[in-house]
Formats: sequence, structure tokens, C-alpha cells
Amino acid sequence: MPRIVREADISWEGTLSRGAGVVTATSSGAFDLPVTLASRIANPEGKTSPEELLAAAHASCWVTSLAGELAKAGTPPEHLDVHCTITMDEVEGRGHRIVASSLSARGTAPGADEASFAQAAEAADAGCPFSALIKASATVTVEATLEGGA
Amino acid sequence: MADRRANVTWSGSLIEGGGTIESVGSGAFGPLDVTWGSRAEDSDGRTSPEELIAAAHASCFSMALSHGLARGGTPADRLDTSATVTFVPGTGITKVALTVRGSVPGVDEASFVEAAQTAKEGCPVSQALAAVPEITLDAALL
Repeated sequence: MPRIVREADISWEGTLSRGAGVVTATSSGAFDLPVTLASRIANPEGKTSPEELLAAAHASCWVTSLAGELAKAGTPPEHLDVHCTITMDEVEGRGHRIVASSLSARGTAPGADEASFAQAAEAADAGCPFSALIKASATVTVEATLEGGA
Repeated sequence: MADRRANVTWSGSLIEGGGTIESVGSGAFGPLDVTWGSRAEDSDGRTSPEELIAAAHASCFSMALSHGLARGGTPADRLDTSATVTFVPGTGITKVALTVRGSVPGVDEASFVEAAQTAKEGCPVSQALAAVPEITLDAALL
């Protein structure tokens, strides 16, 4: 199998509390985004954070797995709407830790029923490489709702 | 406690279809397209989960290192960090390589490397990615 490499860069200036950085999607050029400590633990004020980038990573990783699982079951999706929330919390004696990622999907997949849709969502969680990693240290929850019935 | 959110839509099958990171809680980015091709073949200007993980890890590590250096009495003027995530379809994410170059008045190379090692071990994204088989660090002063 080919090795696929994706790179991002950040330049950070100054201290943690008063400094700031700009994170760049180097492989694709898709974004250049400011990050600060405040955007991470307080009000984001329009700036992203490592945890928000992980939420975007997990949502996009899981949704591609879900599209794959539904196609494999013979019920490719028409449309999937996925939401991911990453929670960082202070864990006693260990500082800030990413403790949870919660995923939910709503979608339409002709031929799928509620049970097969839920099954595909679970299989997508098992197959998404990011889920596999983060499960070692955080709780991953998955919720799937089929729109418009079977 | 801090919650950070993202919304992604997908239309069609894995190979022929495509997705969009429509929005994130902060409003900082989106819409950004994501496709299987952008992930497993040429990025072609589109991001991917692995690139987003690289961005998360590089920024988390830089913040932890900035914090550690300031606590040691030698705050950084500037840190340039790069994270490269290796993804092998069918196997998973096999490696993250962190590279940092720092401009830090009053610190020697050994203390900088030690601070970088501590940031690599301790930052929340490193902890979340602890199951990655290989996470490497290349740290040096400018």
C-alpha cells in the first residue's frame, strides 16, 4: 500500500498566554489560520484551535468511512451530515487532556434502514484510522439517524 | 472544559462522492472540500483528515513548547514547527514526524531539545495520538 504523507506547519511567536501562531496546511494549501491560547481554552473569537482541527479531522475521517461502509452494504449514501465535538478537560494530576469525541450523523441512503444505517456507523467508527487512535485515550461515541425512513 | 465542534457533509459514495467541512464552531474556516482522492492520492488543493491532524499536532506541540520555555525563564521569540502525518490505507496512521526550529534567547541547545521532548510527551494532542506507532521529534535552535 502506498504511504501517504500530509504536512502542516505553524509559526509561533512569543509566550503561550500572550503569543500567537499561524497554522498552515502545507500539503494542500487549503488554509492558513491564526491560533492562540484563548482560542483553545476560552472564547475562540473566530480563531481555531488544535481541538477544533481534530474535530474537523475526526468528522471528515469518519464520514469517509461511513460513505464507504454504506456503499459496501449496497446502499451508497445520497447525503450525510456529520457533526463532531471534541472535549478537552482538566484531568487531575495530568493537566489538560482530550477526553471525548462525540460523532453524530444524519443522512439519506436509499435501501438502508435504521438498523443497517446504525450498523454502518459503528463499522465506520471501527474503520476510521483516527477513531482507532483516539480511542486509546478518549471516549468515542457514535450516533446515526436515517432521514426519511427506509 | 472546552468543546470544539466541526460540521461535515458528504454526498455520494466514497470514491465518486465528496465531502465538505462546512463549518467549525469558531467560524475560523470552512467550507473546505475533502475527498477520498485528496486523502489517498494528490491533495490537489484540498485538505484531508491527516492534514488536519498534522495541523492540530503542530499547533498543540508549539503551544506546549512555548509554555515550557517561558516557565524555564527563557521565553521563545519564535518557534517554527512542522508536523508530517503518514497514512497507509488499510493500515492506518503509522507515523507523525515533528520538526521544530526555535529562536530562543538565553537557552542552550540541550535545554531546548529537552523542553521540546517534554512538549512532545505532554501536549494534549500527543496524548490523544499516543497510539500512533511512531512519533519522532527533530528539535534544534536556529
